[in-house]
Amino acid sequence: MPHSEKKNNLTIKYLLGLGAVLFLGYHSVYFKKLDEVRSAANKKFDAAAYAQKFFTSTLTPQLANASGIQELIQLLTISKDEAFEKYAYATAVGSIKYFLVKGTGIITAINEDEISLQMGNQSLTLATEFIYGNAIRDVTGLFDITSFTNTADINNVSAELNKIVKNKVIPPFRAKAKVGDKVAFTGVMELNSARLNLDNIEVIPISIQ
Amino acid sequence: MINYLWQLKNNSGIVFSLAFCLLFFGSCSNKNTSETPKKMAIIISTLNNPWFVFLADNAAAKAKELGYETKIFDSQNNTALESDHFENALVSGYNAILFNPTDAEGSVVNVQKAKAAGVPVFCMDREVNSVDAATSQILSDSYSGCVSLAKYFVKQMKKKGNYVELLGLVGDNNTWARSQGFHSVVDNYTGLKMVAQQSADFDRNKAMEVLESIMQAHPNIDAVFCGNDAMAMGAYQALAAAGKADKVKVFGFDGAADVVDAIKDGKIAATGMQFPKVMAQTAAIYADQYLKGKKDFPQKLPVAVELVTKENIEDYAAFGKKE
Repeated sequence: MPHSEKKNNLTIKYLLGLGAVLFLGYHSVYFKKLDEVRSAANKKFDAAAYAQKFFTSTLTPQLANASGIQELIQLLTISKDEAFEKYAYATAVGSIKYFLVKGTGIITAINEDEISLQMGNQSLTLATEFIYGNAIRDVTGLFDITSFTNTADINNVSAELNKIVKNKVIPPFRAKAKVGDKVAFTGVMELNSARLNLDNIEVIPISIQ
Repeated sequence: MINYLWQLKNNSGIVFSLAFCLLFFGSCSNKNTSETPKKMAIIISTLNNPWFVFLADNAAAKAKELGYETKIFDSQNNTALESDHFENALVSGYNAILFNPTDAEGSVVNVQKAKAAGVPVFCMDREVNSVDAATSQILSDSYSGCVSLAKYFVKQMKKKGNYVELLGLVGDNNTWARSQGFHSVVDNYTGLKMVAQQSADFDRNKAMEVLESIMQAHPNIDAVFCGNDAMAMGAYQALAAAGKADKVKVFGFDGAADVVDAIKDGKIAATGMQFPKVMAQTAAIYADQYLKGKKDFPQKLPVAVELVTKENIEDYAAFGKKE
């Protein structure tokens, strides 16, 4: 083999080797902007997005299964334990539970923080100002606390769900509500099984028509 | 008979073997019946507060009821001492630890040590800042409890006035959970102005001193929100000494005996009732279930906190509902 041909072959081998090294090297490492890495590391749970999805996909379809409030109150009077067992939910251990209820009533008063309704012999109030706590989050029994590890995230889901009701459900209702109007509502009734009080029923509305 | 004795003589090897087996298994059986009972260690942040004594005693009582030997360790709010208690519990062969941490961050390493040694830890009332160290954390829902308290606060204050907030230990998650729950409601009302926010370390005497100092700069306050009942009683003492007890509303959190009495007497406006018995018993039951084979527990189990005011005080006693 002439010397020049041998040198060419050696050059080709070196080039191929270098190419292989470059190919493997390129695919062995990757580069990302430091800002992107930092933002991914600090990525926080988006409670507002979670709450919106929960409200639309989980809570709203369940509204059709709400108990008639007058029938439920009757059952609570006759058989409290059965009513709590069948229809009440809560994430926290304890005697405070939430019922998903629906009904139709006539507006009897419009106050600063709530609207009063009369349903036959039963009177109740629809909360329009103090929409706080875990009622909306917990009422379906479908909120899965075991999928959360951070307590703040669990609390923030409640806060964001409450904001949806306070900002989107209540204002259009209050804007046109008049004494004497007929109102159909679906919402949450909170009761304490250890000291049941059916005299002052308050419902946090989720849907009002 | 002769025939029988002959058979016995010829089968002496079998007879001795049977006798040996009976003795061996008999001794095994005796060993089982005299086996040391399983043990649960109860490590508590401090026993210098009746609330935590109640928590510890109820955890111990439930564990004993479930058949365990128990010992209560007092960490005296000292993470180094708490660490020694963990070492002792692990060396002494405790099978589970029912734990009320001293510090959400500083206590994590102790829980991890126990986990590495195969000993499950169940946190009671206070949490550690780790999602996989403890087997389960059974905690008061402090945030939601203070949301309820804050709703009542806003209604009582008619949405306006100046108030002071006394915080607990700044290293304890409950301090911030309570404060955040309270502010998640109160901050929506611009008429309510927080003129001072200061830590009094969950301590009655310190709360009295801190409020006295704050009132020098802010004599016109309408309410004091306190992160626990001990501070609420200290704040009330400061207000009484300044002749302002009738004008300033005080709000606490815990459900301690003196505050339950003070609500009845109209001295304190409201408190958030925690249920230490529920937390302690649940922790003991979970530990028992774990040792019997169950391994799937919620990482965090909230226990509801109830609003106690003069309207419903008759339903409650110290640390819970009337039995």
